[in-house]
Amino acid sequence: MKELVEYIVKALVDNPSKVEIKETSGESVIIIEVKAAPEDVGKVIGREGRIANAIRAIAKAVAAKQNKKVSVEILTEDKAQNKTI
Amino acid sequence: MKKITMKGKNVDEAVDAALKVISGDRAQAKVFVLSEGKAGVLGLIGGTEAEVEVTVKEGKPEDAQQLLQDILDKMGLVTMVESRLVDDRVELVVKGDDMGRIIGKDGATLKSLEILLAGMLARLYGERSYVSIDADGYRDKRRQSLERLAQEVANEVIDSKAEKTMPPMSAADRRIIHLYLQGNPSVAIFSQGEGDARRLVIAPK
Repeated sequence: MKELVEYIVKALVDNPSKVEIKETSGESVIIIEVKAAPEDVGKVIGREGRIANAIRAIAKAVAAKQNKKVSVEILTEDKAQNKTI
Repeated sequence: MKKITMKGKNVDEAVDAALKVISGDRAQAKVFVLSEGKAGVLGLIGGTEAEVEVTVKEGKPEDAQQLLQDILDKMGLVTMVESRLVDDRVELVVKGDDMGRIIGKDGATLKSLEILLAGMLARLYGERSYVSIDADGYRDKRRQSLERLAQEVANEVIDSKAEKTMPPMSAADRRIIHLYLQGNPSVAIFSQGEGDARRLVIAPK
């Protein structure tokens, strides 16, 4: 799963070397955390979250095969985090 | 699409070396600088090397085919992808097992793959790119069932002389119905509402 999300995200951003993916896998849940350069976060999320939701849908299709749930979280930099409260 | 990561004394030299290795043309190359590198005192002493990722484009349909094939491989699906360019749209067809998983509920997975591929091509080519993906004849089947639905509702509207609002649909699905009923002289068809609330309405004429 990590490899899949990493491939997709790296193919969308301008700074592929700044992409970090962390996978935490439990018995029934997989959590994927995506970090990218601040200027690339918008490219990973997309307009109205279109890209982020597409990544989630693909991850979900794979997780469903293993009867697992998956959560893909796109981590934003400190600045953006402050804004979202 | 050929991709390679290469180091060099500076960005320019790293790119040149990369192009040499994959015998690519600079005009077709998209370069991502992974590390700028730093010139040291007296040449390289104390400096750090630059590192670049060079992708040599082979044309939109070819590159899209490879990107989609890579994604499907990493999804653990055994498939083969074919591609072609129709007008300015890249059309991809997926063949293989487990087509249901690739299509998803109401084509949701196909749609998601289209969105991602369009984003990836936009990044490589620096322009908006249109991508459509089909698997197991899903597009045709979907169009046929939408047209059947449209015909049924149109018949009801003509009989009852009362307009009907269609259930929520994607813009692409609305378009299919719109085009199909356009030629029907007994009904008028239009959309109302904005964003997620946009619905097709079929009304008697």
